Amino acid sequence: PLGRQRAGRLWGPSRSRCGGPAGAMGLELELEPLFQAWSYFRRRKFRQCADICSQLLKRPPGEQAAWSLKTRALTEMVYVDEIDMDQEGIAEMMLDENAIAQVARPGTSLKLPGTSQGGGPSPAVRPVTQSGRPITGFVRPSTQSGRPSTMEQAIKTPRTALTARPITSASGGYVRLGTASMLTNPDGPFINLSRLNLAKYAQKPKLAKALFEYIFHHENDVKNALDLAALATEHAQFKDWWWKVQIGKCYYRLGLYREAEKQFKSALKQQDMVDTILYLAKVYLRLDQPVTALNLFKQGLERFPGEVTLICGIARIYEEMNNISTAAEYYKDVLKQDNTHVEAIACIGSNHFYSDQPEIALRFYRRLLQMGVYNCQLFNNLGLCCFYAQQYDMTLSSFERALFLAENEEETADVWYNLGHVAVGIGDLNLAYQCFKLTLVNNNDYAEAYNNLAVLEMRKGHIEQARALLQTASSLAPHMYEPHFNFAILSEKVGDLQRSYTAAQKSEEAFPGHVDTQQLIKQLKQHFAML
Amino acid sequence: MSLFKARDWWSTILGEKEEFDQGCLCVADVDNSGSGQDKIIVGSYMGYLRIFNPHPVKPGDEVQPEDLLLEVQLREPILQVEVGKFVSGTEGLHLAVLHCRKLCVYSVSGTLGNVEHGNQYQIKLMYEHNLQRTACNMTYGPFGGVKGRDLICIQSMDGMLMLFEQESYAFGRFLPGFLLPGPLTYSSRTDSFITVSSCQQVESYKYQVLAFATDADERQETEQQKLSSGKRVAVDWVLNIGEQALDICVVSFNQAVSSVFVLGERNFFCLKDNGQIRFMKKLDYSPSCFIPYCSVKEGTINTLVGNHSKMLNVYQDVTLKWATQLPHIPVSVKVANLQDLKGVIVTLSDNGHLQCSYLGTDPSLFQAPKVDSREINYEEFDAEMKKLQKIIKEATKTQDILPKSEKHRDLIVTAEVSPSLDAESQAIDSEVKAEAVPSVTVKITIQSRVTAQKPNLAVCVQAPLAVTCDQFVFDDLEPDSSETVVLSVFLKGNCSPSELEGNCMVSYNIPTGIPKVAQCNFRLPLRLICFPAQPSKAANHKLTIDTNKPPISFLTIFPDFVDPSEDDQANVLGFQFLTGSKTTLLASKTSQRYRIQSDQLEDLWLITKELTLRLEEHFKKQNCKDFACTFSGSIPLQEYFELIDRHFELRLNAEKFQELLSERAVQFRAIERRLLTRFKDKTPAPLQHLDTLLEGTFREVIALADAAEENQANMFQAFTKLKSATHLMIMLISLWQKLSTDQVAILEATFLPLAEDTPELGWEETVDAAISYLLRTCLSKSSKEQALTLSSQLCMPKDTSRLKKNITLFCDRLAKGGRLSLSTDSAAQQATVMPGGCATIPESDLEERTVIPGSTATFPSHGQIAKQKSKP
Repeated sequence: PLGRQRAGRLWGPSRSRCGGPAGAMGLELELEPLFQAWSYFRRRKFRQCADICSQLLKRPPGEQAAWSLKTRALTEMVYVDEIDMDQEGIAEMMLDENAIAQVARPGTSLKLPGTSQGGGPSPAVRPVTQSGRPITGFVRPSTQSGRPSTMEQAIKTPRTALTARPITSASGGYVRLGTASMLTNPDGPFINLSRLNLAKYAQKPKLAKALFEYIFHHENDVKNALDLAALATEHAQFKDWWWKVQIGKCYYRLGLYREAEKQFKSALKQQDMVDTILYLAKVYLRLDQPVTALNLFKQGLERFPGEVTLICGIARIYEEMNNISTAAEYYKDVLKQDNTHVEAIACIGSNHFYSDQPEIALRFYRRLLQMGVYNCQLFNNLGLCCFYAQQYDMTLSSFERALFLAENEEETADVWYNLGHVAVGIGDLNLAYQCFKLTLVNNNDYAEAYNNLAVLEMRKGHIEQARALLQTASSLAPHMYEPHFNFAILSEKVGDLQRSYTAAQKSEEAFPGHVDTQQLIKQLKQHFAML
Repeated sequence: MSLFKARDWWSTILGEKEEFDQGCLCVADVDNSGSGQDKIIVGSYMGYLRIFNPHPVKPGDEVQPEDLLLEVQLREPILQVEVGKFVSGTEGLHLAVLHCRKLCVYSVSGTLGNVEHGNQYQIKLMYEHNLQRTACNMTYGPFGGVKGRDLICIQSMDGMLMLFEQESYAFGRFLPGFLLPGPLTYSSRTDSFITVSSCQQVESYKYQVLAFATDADERQETEQQKLSSGKRVAVDWVLNIGEQALDICVVSFNQAVSSVFVLGERNFFCLKDNGQIRFMKKLDYSPSCFIPYCSVKEGTINTLVGNHSKMLNVYQDVTLKWATQLPHIPVSVKVANLQDLKGVIVTLSDNGHLQCSYLGTDPSLFQAPKVDSREINYEEFDAEMKKLQKIIKEATKTQDILPKSEKHRDLIVTAEVSPSLDAESQAIDSEVKAEAVPSVTVKITIQSRVTAQKPNLAVCVQAPLAVTCDQFVFDDLEPDSSETVVLSVFLKGNCSPSELEGNCMVSYNIPTGIPKVAQCNFRLPLRLICFPAQPSKAANHKLTIDTNKPPISFLTIFPDFVDPSEDDQANVLGFQFLTGSKTTLLASKTSQRYRIQSDQLEDLWLITKELTLRLEEHFKKQNCKDFACTFSGSIPLQEYFELIDRHFELRLNAEKFQELLSERAVQFRAIERRLLTRFKDKTPAPLQHLDTLLEGTFREVIALADAAEENQANMFQAFTKLKSATHLMIMLISLWQKLSTDQVAILEATFLPLAEDTPELGWEETVDAAISYLLRTCLSKSSKEQALTLSSQLCMPKDTSRLKKNITLFCDRLAKGGRLSLSTDSAAQQATVMPGGCATIPESDLEERTVIPGSTATFPSHGQIAKQKSKP
């Protein structure tokens, strides 16, 4: 979760204008207040800037420059790059009238987890997410995609606190973003949108752009923002690409993807811009047209060769489409352009790890550590890599640090889970048992830990416990094949062939290429035939 | 994020609490020493002008006093310092200092002393201009192509460009569409000024055009003339970059074409002379300053970009070549030649940290804080580990982690129900339609012997009873302290409860962090839900309880219901429930019998229970130990079955409602989707009454939901009645067969599962399964019946006939002498699987209830361990 928010929030404690030592020395060096505010803005000291502007605005007559500067300062305080924002609610998914085909062809849709074409690792090696995609090395807003097929199923699928999806995107993260406007202000809100004459402002391009960003980012009022943008683009005789991009952004937020696409395309015709390409690609991804998005990125790269965000976008799409090796190639391209790119390093690292090259993965993770990434996940991964690269001396100390750095119980659970693996690896089953137990203490939705506990219980011969644990695991994570398969084996051993068969079928559904499952099914079928 | 940090060559901190910004740093050979060595000139908003000539003996040395060539206080804030050929008649470099309302040009000169620290430097004011408007920033250059001298252009805060031809003021021009000043620079190749306006556009103005436009000093006229065309300052070219800019720079190096660099807030642009984008780069950080400094490779330009995460990035065009960490956020960055060292990076932070540094592979070693780890004494740890392992083993073996020590309870909770009803009823929001709903006060006391952290008291009574407050949170309790709370219980729902018991529970943590629970039960008075009334002779349901003692006068056992003045109540008593129904209690004058009668089967329960309880209590007081009640009449199964059917019917209804609701919801969404496409269509098509359909469906959904809710309320009432009747049945069966307490416990567990009555798992199937199990095990007639054919999953039955049949059979078998037991020989095998004393308490439908013959065969682990997970 290395967030990519850019909004630097500087909350300067001093509210007075900078007096400094000048006063003490008996010298009154007075800077022009507007200049002081302007300088604060340049240095991203938005709080001080806004304070000075407020004082300026108290004096009659209200100055446009101070007003505009304050608008910009307030916006910058809460600014989050819209490109990185993505959230799809259940309602958007289900009422999606943009879908072209019910069943997309393989390789053209992100909805199907799909068969891996690029020879990526199988789920036996690399864990998958709920939607059947391999777990990526970097947590991004949109990594939890994948769509349930009906509304009922969407509402009923197990939703833990970590994977919960809002009912509509209007109720999700966007709401949290806009809460800046709800902070109580003794003088009421800075700009009262309902009293704003948008048509008047739309005719003043110098004010309108700052005002738009304020309405969009600070107030989070997409409708008013769209009104302003529509008026402004008309005033600019549809010659200003910036307004078109803004209209596109509003349309995107409102779920009018085709309209957004038109605006972005029209803006691109006027002026090639990296941001516009990224927005347009985002629209295509939402419309589930990854191939179009890929082509767009590639065209964009011709115009802006070596643009990191574009290459990274390509890599992400390939990763989502399960084409891991191509994704890794593009991530390597990213590193050629910007060798401090954390996402690329992390993704290549995890790719190496899951393709059984822990030593190489270790180098990537160590690089991240040297660069100053210092968190629980990194040490967790370092510990695992060390273990599988047979550098046992470092393993435990890495995990120790990971535990020390864990910020919440989910992270602690992850570390304990991996420690459990190490314990299994060194054959200390007691320790493993306790580690998995601790995992569940920290996060009792941890399906993998339930599964592994069940395996340990099976070894001890506690069949009832193992069965209960496996059932819990499979109900928590229907997408994992292990609980189903283990359940099938367990049932087969005690002679309950019918249940074994159903479980085996579920396992096959979750992971069609699993050889052991296929063998089991074959064996069971023979049994049935004999009966 | 970077591997390396900038290597410190020389650094100092300027002044105390002084402020600096972009224009405050300038690097040039300002004293015209001719040695090609740059000096660092820094001005501050506090008015200090300083000139440095750093020459450390070795990198990272302390600042020598002679490094500071000059320090003067100019008594006015310094906005910008620039060095150029500002004085006519000479090509020497002079220093221009921009104040808020003044422009000063100084010459800097030094006289050499005998020793180095004897060198003297001074500045001499060559000329100054007082400004009419507040200045913001300035640029200089050979405007109009003049040779050998630099002219100055100052941008004011209100958008006027003021041009000075050295000692004289040339002209001033207002920029069109101005709001806030942007960065300003001069491009000598095109002879134009380039700035970024508030419209988020890069704008270029030809010097020529500015010079010939109307003088801005007659502003009044200009305002009007601006509207008329021709005289207006016309822009040469405009590029819309869609963001505000921090800085702008024009460079032309030998190997590379001349370009305009613009550092935006989020992107970094390189433009051609005509304003087209050559390349751009999206920055994933907030930049603070930049400088294009040279061209290393043919056709490319290297740029330094500083940012707010204290990093300095070196780009070759768009490729990141180097990233280095700085100790501060730079507001200005320059590249200088100092002491024979070419390309020293000079950075200035806004609080006055001036640093000269160079790049190098000096790792910025990130010092991870030490994990607090003790010296490990392995023997001690081994011993502790063994001890802990033992405890864990012990705990997992007994399943019961907490040792039971009733006597040494750390925290005791007691509840005291006040003997009389509240004088003033505390009932709120009661749905009972009686005139007055009484309430009774319960006083709960918590006594703690130890420190109890975060004690939390929960009081719970079975609906339809309710309490005025059911959650109490206290501060941490000290040892030997106590807390008391008072609350009232009253009847809320409009039906009689099935139990008059309440329960309070305190959860707390002991200081070591172990959570613990203490609880107690309390019994509520009968008066809470009913009051004395006229007895009625006729009734549908009658029960007769036999005892082995002569009848007791109701005056003694029901003093709270009998009015002592009326004698005839001694053996007949009427009860009127708050909900309306009546029950009559009769004591036989001759035999040792009591009769309870009512129109409703379920109403008998509470009175019967109360009667037996009070009788037992009465005889206990009299030290009479052999008192016993019996029941000989037939069990009223038929009436009981009616209640079951009623409840089951409501369950079926609920299911039907749910189906209908989901059907309507699907329909509603389908219409919604159609409407959505209609509305989004560019050419509006008629709605074709879709809106009416939507409205209608919506109403239907709401009506269905209302009906379902009502059904739910009814079902709750029916279930309460069923529970009452079940209690009665259990009591009657146990009195009838004189069952022991163990057997009663099994009976209760069978008929009253702890699980809630939910649509997925209801009372009927749970009880059916439990009874079937008993019938197959302890009540089985032959071993043949023990064959296990239980379905693995509990689901709602189609009708209740099977349940009824089983209950009848169950009573039959009991009558024939069956004994309820969970560990009879015949059931030994199965019983091993069942945990604890309660036979069948399914907790969820996930838990399968199949009984597998205990297999002790070793189980070869063929299972798969799920894979490790890692997420950075």
